[in-house]
Amino acid sequence: MAKPKVASDWLAGCAGCHMSFLDMDERIIELTKLVDLRATPITDLKEPDKEGVDVGILEGGIANSYNEEVAIRMRERCKILVALGDCAVFGGVPAMRNFFGAEEALKRAYIETESTDESGKIPDDPELAVSQHVRPVSDVVKVDVFLPGCAPSADAIFHVLAELAQGRMPEVNDLTNDWH
Amino acid sequence: MIKLTVNELPVEVELGSTVLEAVQKAGFNVPTLCYHPKLVPYGACRLCLVEVEGARTLQPSCTVPATEGMKVHTDTEKTKAARHFVLSMLFSERNHFCMYCQATDGDCDLQQAAYNEGMNHWPITPAYKPYYVDTSHPDFILDNNRCIICRRCVRTCSELVGNHTLGIEERGSANILVADGNVPLGESTCISCGNCVQVCPTGALFDRRSMYQGRETDLTHTKSVCMDCSVGCYRVVKTRDNRLVRVDGDMDATFADSLLCEKGRYEPVKENRLRVTQPLIRRDGEFLPIDWDHALNVVSTQLKAHDSNEIRAFISGRQSIENLSAFQNFFKENYNIGQTALFGHDESAAVSVELAREFGPFESNLSALAEADAAIILGADLIKDFQVAGFMLKRKLSDEFNLVMVTKEHNKLADNFTNRLVTVGENYEQIVDLLACYKAGGVCPETDQIIESEGLKAHRAYRLLESIPSWQHPVVIIGKEFAKVENLEALKKLVRYSQEVGAKVIILKGDTNSFAAALLDLQLNPDVGSSPVAFYALGDGHACHHALEGLKNSGFKIVQTSYMDEFAEQADVILPCKIWAEEEGHYLTTDGRIELNRQALVPGEHQRSVSAVLADLSEKSGFSLQTDWLAVLTEKISSIVLA
Repeated sequence: MAKPKVASDWLAGCAGCHMSFLDMDERIIELTKLVDLRATPITDLKEPDKEGVDVGILEGGIANSYNEEVAIRMRERCKILVALGDCAVFGGVPAMRNFFGAEEALKRAYIETESTDESGKIPDDPELAVSQHVRPVSDVVKVDVFLPGCAPSADAIFHVLAELAQGRMPEVNDLTNDWH
Repeated sequence: MIKLTVNELPVEVELGSTVLEAVQKAGFNVPTLCYHPKLVPYGACRLCLVEVEGARTLQPSCTVPATEGMKVHTDTEKTKAARHFVLSMLFSERNHFCMYCQATDGDCDLQQAAYNEGMNHWPITPAYKPYYVDTSHPDFILDNNRCIICRRCVRTCSELVGNHTLGIEERGSANILVADGNVPLGESTCISCGNCVQVCPTGALFDRRSMYQGRETDLTHTKSVCMDCSVGCYRVVKTRDNRLVRVDGDMDATFADSLLCEKGRYEPVKENRLRVTQPLIRRDGEFLPIDWDHALNVVSTQLKAHDSNEIRAFISGRQSIENLSAFQNFFKENYNIGQTALFGHDESAAVSVELAREFGPFESNLSALAEADAAIILGADLIKDFQVAGFMLKRKLSDEFNLVMVTKEHNKLADNFTNRLVTVGENYEQIVDLLACYKAGGVCPETDQIIESEGLKAHRAYRLLESIPSWQHPVVIIGKEFAKVENLEALKKLVRYSQEVGAKVIILKGDTNSFAAALLDLQLNPDVGSSPVAFYALGDGHACHHALEGLKNSGFKIVQTSYMDEFAEQADVILPCKIWAEEEGHYLTTDGRIELNRQALVPGEHQRSVSAVLADLSEKSGFSLQTDWLAVLTEKISSIVLA
């Protein structure tokens, strides 16, 4: 049996979940014996194979039109989709802005910060993604495995990937279910 | 007893038990949120739903009474689906993002319930509606965004504390927790007892000082007794890395429903005076650090150089029985000093001792307050002092309680009850006469005269007097304003009356350990005037201004204290002292319980207890310090407090 292909990407998150993935240290070598690690934000290949992968992993919530596009593309190209971390699962820290809206958040970031002078303006290049109400990945596409945590521990990520690599659906509860 | 089965397992419970109690007795666990063992079951959250055979719908186990032959199932597909749904709905409202809440990982019942159900995401996305955050209170913060409207806080505030400050406003998803019908908590009638914060199952009400300082499991819990007054509530001292983080009521205790008052919960964490870390001696107006041996030699020399009538010794009522007993033994037996005293101005403990000489054991336990249906309060302010004892009366329902009260100033407790006979002033004896005279068979000639002279409304006074025969569990509470040696005859009259009508008597005794001090024959209301040598074992207390004046006018001033304050600054020698949390010691509550205060913190290298210092001083003068107090005290207590 060929090794299952795994691809990942990050959306509105802090990259911390991918850092936690790297925290599994030498077990990454074990993991690469079990899976074919394809496109990730930290490898050369950036987009999941057009031919599709077995497992897709998404970190971060959906905060703009670009995140939405990436999530839909990943869903189309993978068989099993994993939502990795609190932002992907619940909306997380980016979703804090939902309590007052994207407009307010942009104004605070680009105009009102103490270090910004009067030239501050909200970027309005038409090429830029359009900010949205922040949603968990499951609000946009179907998610098969939820692994919450801020960030999920390396042990939890290893458990999920090792199970998937061996053809089993991982159970995320008790030891690995940690929302903090 | 009622027989029923829980998950096929037979279990017997007492009549009046709930299904939840039966489930727990059978050894099963049903998740709960609004339920709290100290509160009346409420059935608000619906998380504890169980299946009862024959019932049309799932039943909330916390409110449904267990009945004969009932067949209960806690873990069926139906109950699991219901719990999952209830939790999904709770997470769909407000802000329950765990990663930016301090009540996470074991400290939040909501998160734990979700974990227990194996939830790893929220099936319904939250509505992201912002709610009111109230940061106006100095001790805690109310974040409505994290509130699940379980009303544990509201029920604690009214059912247990009787303060009725908290309430819920608006309806449905707009429900918010408010104080006094919507004023900021910091400007409300809140008395800052913090009991609502302790029962909050989420992070909606949280402590300002201890937030983000560690989860419950990161903190070391030391079960102890409160020594901030003589009521003797049970508390848990929570520390981390030898630092006091928080003080909570001990939920395992049954006394006073584990409540604490502002004093017991927040005074210890508010302490911000500078600690004395080593012995100091005054040289040319400056304090110079010296070693213990040097300091003790100076003290010893001063004590030896003076006659016993030139030395006065005082100790704080916050000191443990061990320290009080060593102090009394050292100064009275070793130096034959007549006046070894507790500084405070409260003779109530001495009055108890005096009354017991005539009546034998006559005082009751504080738990009498819980079942009381009438109280005669003379000279005690239960709103300001002995607050937890006050909570047990404040929470009584107006139409089920009768109050007779005489206090020096207007006391808000009176406002809670309609059937009352309340006067402001110090005519305690008049009111005792009024009651005693009525009891003696109808109205005696003085009744109207007293009613008139006290300015009482006659119809109210008569209504109360006429209700006396219906009182089932009256209590008489005597406070420091009345409990004075000069009032002994009036007090005797009152005790005699109480015994005749079967009322339980409670004398609320001054400072933390003043009852123990009285039993050890320390003088309770001493003259703190000047003397050639003054020894003050102040410890971590605050000295009153009389003591400060006395010290200022004294010759050589020795002060053992924990903190560098105005009082310590007058001293010639300062001996560093441990604080309450740094030494183990016993405390005698106002109702005769000997309780242990356990050590929760490690003191600094040079901070020592009063008894340790006295033991060293004894050695220097060849005196052997007696440390045995338990047998004597136990016997004396049983001669005053009823078993």
